[in-house]
Amino acid sequence: MNRTFICIACPVGCEIEARIEESSEGPIILEIAGANCIRGRTYVENELKNPTRIVTSSVRVTGENISITSVRLTAPVPRNRMMDVIEELRKVRLTAPVSIGQIVIQNILGLGSDVIVTKPVDISGV
Amino acid sequence: MAQTYDVIIIGGGVVGSAIARELSRYKLKIAVLEKELDVCTETSGRNSAVLHAGFNNRPGSLMAKFCVEGNLGFDRTARELDIPFKRTGKVVVGFDEEDLAGLKALKDQGDRNGCPDLELIDHNRIKELAPFIDGEFALYSPMTGILNTFIYTIALAENAHQNGVDYFFDREVTSIARTGQSMTGIHRVSPEYEIQTKYGMSPEQNSLSRTPYDHFRSRWVINSAGLNADVIARMLGNSDYTIYPCRGEYFILDRKLAPYLTMPAYPVPNAKAGGLGIHLTPTIDGTILIGPSAEYIDAKDDYASTQSVMDLLIEDGARIFPPLQANSIIRSYTGIRPKLVSKNKGGYADFVIEERNTYPQAVNLIGIESPGLTSSLPIARRVVEMIGQKEDLQSNPDFDPNRKGILCFKDQTRDIQRSLIQSNPNYGEIICRCETVTRAEILAAIRNPLGVATLSGIKVRTRAMMGRCQGGYCQTRITELLMKEKNLQPQDVLYLRNSSNMFTGRVRDI
Amino acid sequence: MTAHDVIIIGGGPAGLAAAIELKRLGVADILILEREKDPGGILRQCIHDGFGLHRFNESLSGPEYAARFIDQAKEMEIECLTNTSVLEITSGKQVTAASPQGMTTYQARAVVLAMGCRERTREAIRIPGSRLAGVYTAGVAQSYLNLKNIMIGRSAVILGSGDIGLIMARRLTLEGAQVKAVFEIQPHANGLPRNIEQCLNDFNIPLFLSHTVTNIKGRNRLEGVTVSQVDDNLRPIPGTEKDYACDTLIISVGLIPENELSEMAGVILDPRTHGPIVDENYQTTVSGIFAAGNVLQVHDLVDFVSLEAERLAMSVAGYLETDTLLSADFSKDSIKTSTKKINKPADFAPAEFIPIEADQSIAFTVPQYVSGQADFILSLRVRHPVRNCQIVLQQGDQIIRSVKLRKAIPAEMIQIPIKSGDLVSREKITAVLEYE
Repeated sequence: MNRTFICIACPVGCEIEARIEESSEGPIILEIAGANCIRGRTYVENELKNPTRIVTSSVRVTGENISITSVRLTAPVPRNRMMDVIEELRKVRLTAPVSIGQIVIQNILGLGSDVIVTKPVDISGV
Repeated sequence: MAQTYDVIIIGGGVVGSAIARELSRYKLKIAVLEKELDVCTETSGRNSAVLHAGFNNRPGSLMAKFCVEGNLGFDRTARELDIPFKRTGKVVVGFDEEDLAGLKALKDQGDRNGCPDLELIDHNRIKELAPFIDGEFALYSPMTGILNTFIYTIALAENAHQNGVDYFFDREVTSIARTGQSMTGIHRVSPEYEIQTKYGMSPEQNSLSRTPYDHFRSRWVINSAGLNADVIARMLGNSDYTIYPCRGEYFILDRKLAPYLTMPAYPVPNAKAGGLGIHLTPTIDGTILIGPSAEYIDAKDDYASTQSVMDLLIEDGARIFPPLQANSIIRSYTGIRPKLVSKNKGGYADFVIEERNTYPQAVNLIGIESPGLTSSLPIARRVVEMIGQKEDLQSNPDFDPNRKGILCFKDQTRDIQRSLIQSNPNYGEIICRCETVTRAEILAAIRNPLGVATLSGIKVRTRAMMGRCQGGYCQTRITELLMKEKNLQPQDVLYLRNSSNMFTGRVRDI
Repeated sequence: MTAHDVIIIGGGPAGLAAAIELKRLGVADILILEREKDPGGILRQCIHDGFGLHRFNESLSGPEYAARFIDQAKEMEIECLTNTSVLEITSGKQVTAASPQGMTTYQARAVVLAMGCRERTREAIRIPGSRLAGVYTAGVAQSYLNLKNIMIGRSAVILGSGDIGLIMARRLTLEGAQVKAVFEIQPHANGLPRNIEQCLNDFNIPLFLSHTVTNIKGRNRLEGVTVSQVDDNLRPIPGTEKDYACDTLIISVGLIPENELSEMAGVILDPRTHGPIVDENYQTTVSGIFAAGNVLQVHDLVDFVSLEAERLAMSVAGYLETDTLLSADFSKDSIKTSTKKINKPADFAPAEFIPIEADQSIAFTVPQYVSGQADFILSLRVRHPVRNCQIVLQQGDQIIRSVKLRKAIPAEMIQIPIKSGDLVSREKITAVLEYE
């Protein structure tokens, strides 16, 4: 069957047409067209086998004037685990000051990605 | 347990608040019961904000009498209450012979009502006064003015409050009973009224109320309940009147267009239309209003804008006001006229201000539509007169007619702005960029004397969120300040009325 | 009055990049005026990733991207006054600003406008219905969730397939709200395809093209919306109404460059972009006032904002050196000209410049005119999606540059570098979109 994918590896968002065949080992790509670079094919392969996503969200931080800061995963995790990741993030309580890149959770849920702070909060919580 | 007053005023709009203010000149214990969470929530704030001269009203009517009186006295009123007001003048514009006859009739009517200085003018004079308005001839009324209806009503209420009047918000009157009699200090036995109210919000949510009272006793009841004046009147045994809601939609135009309109410009009114026709009005804040439409509706609280009227306003508006473009519209709003005449009958009925023997000491004010705003203080004085006919009113020696409003940073000179910031750094933080409203003003609005704590309450007291971005920049900052000052959780923040909760809670629990 | 060589209005990505590049080029006397408590502009609330893919070859969140520039600016000791709002700019480049510390008027030799955008509102698009709690523009919703830690609702409908709306669809869903659908009035999506993929398809949120909200219902808080299909003229088709129960309506129907201050200074705006008319130096119609970033034209990638601001910095540096760049000074005539109805920005090209005209398939070009004596980057957007197209730049009959594209969509800005040597005459340049 034919399927269209929009690659998210970079902002270009190549529209990739793929001809896919179901096999005993899962779907295989017979033919692929429309990818401007090699990441496109990798993306389509991943999407078929195990789609992964970067999750960005917020965590609680105790500071005088602010109560949350933003975080990001350092590596993509399976798409069907995104909500589980958010649930874990709900439990986090940081204390100001926090700096960009500070690791909030290591290897979250064993999925192979850390969670890092993306917005610094200084001691007065601004 | 009931809270007892000499006078209870039902409805905190411009009429109720004017009555409260005038009555507070006397030694009386007065309370205002307001259904909503702020004054000026309904008709009082949803109109063209014009101080009419009085030529639109039938000679001999209360409307004519009170409108002229209210107009003539308003300079003093504005001074005392510290509110913005401008006598811009107004033109009623016509094109053909029929219009001219209508204008002549209006002028005659105005002359008979005592409006000063009305003038029939020609095309050239129109061009001098209002260069961007088209017309062959016009009735020019130099005494007509414009004001901010919210600020005026708030000022009346704050002045009343400052002189001892209690304001209760979130109190909807559910029943009024004549109970027993009581002695006053003047050896007269007078009936007493027992008023039941209900909260819109549950007592747990109602952190705004200052007392838990939900029923009241009073010697006098003043029914200034606007759209619901017929409902209250029925509770007072008076079933003669029905209020027919008649909705009008408006557009507000960007202040960029202000140079094109110096004064209100109206068409010759159509007697049966039930309104003054779609007109153009500059606001005292520098924007321009186009409207209103006139549509009889079923529900008294259906403030929705409609596609057909919005299309009509753009079409008609562009015709009478060429600078109008669709992208100069920054907001639409609607108001509902409390008309005493049905759609079929059309036209106007006069103000009803009456006290009946069957229900003495209860004054019903019904059908106070245009020129109700202009007539507000004369109406209030009439009510005072009616009370004075039945009892000796003793002057309140502490009465102060002067009230101070929130200083408007934007209107000051740069030098004054500079020294304001020096004296209070909160003037240096601009919260609303479109309308240049400072943190000092936002805080003053949040800390208002009446205890109002809605987002709209801050908006109407400062003009924040009323500019072209409609709060896109400042709304989040203002709600944050509101929550901090009033110690509110996000789920408690209300936009305007009960149940207008803005948020559901936190993203990450605190 | 305090004087500065360059005053930059706005400490967001455009302002910061311009300042850093100026400093690098040897301009020492720079002052950034930023109205927030912290610099970073809109990036502070854009906590999603996808920023910096071009610039840093990394996928960063908005705050991280901003931090790279903020840290650099700090290191270079560039002065940035925060909590400072500009109240007025004159055509003489006097800038009056207020902060809790006081009010100051500065005299600048050059002013850089970097104020960004505001959002188009529900009121501006005149959706019928009630005024009640629960209607938010996407940026305001984003600010509540990401900066103020406030959750705005439980079930949402989104009007507009612009990127911010799409991002918020995902954000709201991840935070437990039910996003029922996205409605887009145009027959094509407005946001980047990667966002359609990651924000809608990932969560099975349907996107309905050629639909719009025609009624907002509820007593005090939103209770539902009515949605209708629209015809080719974008007018609702009677009989196609469908009701959606929801307590939140997110409005994501476009950004408008925030040029109130620019107009105060006599800068003339292009009605197509709502941003200043500029030449290849990003100089506006007022000599010594320059503009870059979202205030000039709405960008889709912040990486290109930074590049644009850096190009602007080079021009400003040159301006300071020579005290003028080849430019027309409109300041004397600015009051007169700003009330003229602008039909074509090319009408405003001064005699010594070459105007650039776009055909109807191209929404606009920036710059709107060029000197012809320098290389420049032409930015433009197409009005509707096309495949296998060609953008042809001509002077008269001569094609000076043509670019073939597999696809072009309104959501993606197209940038075409042009060398001064490509120009063959002083005749106006026309940009034409050829497609099947």
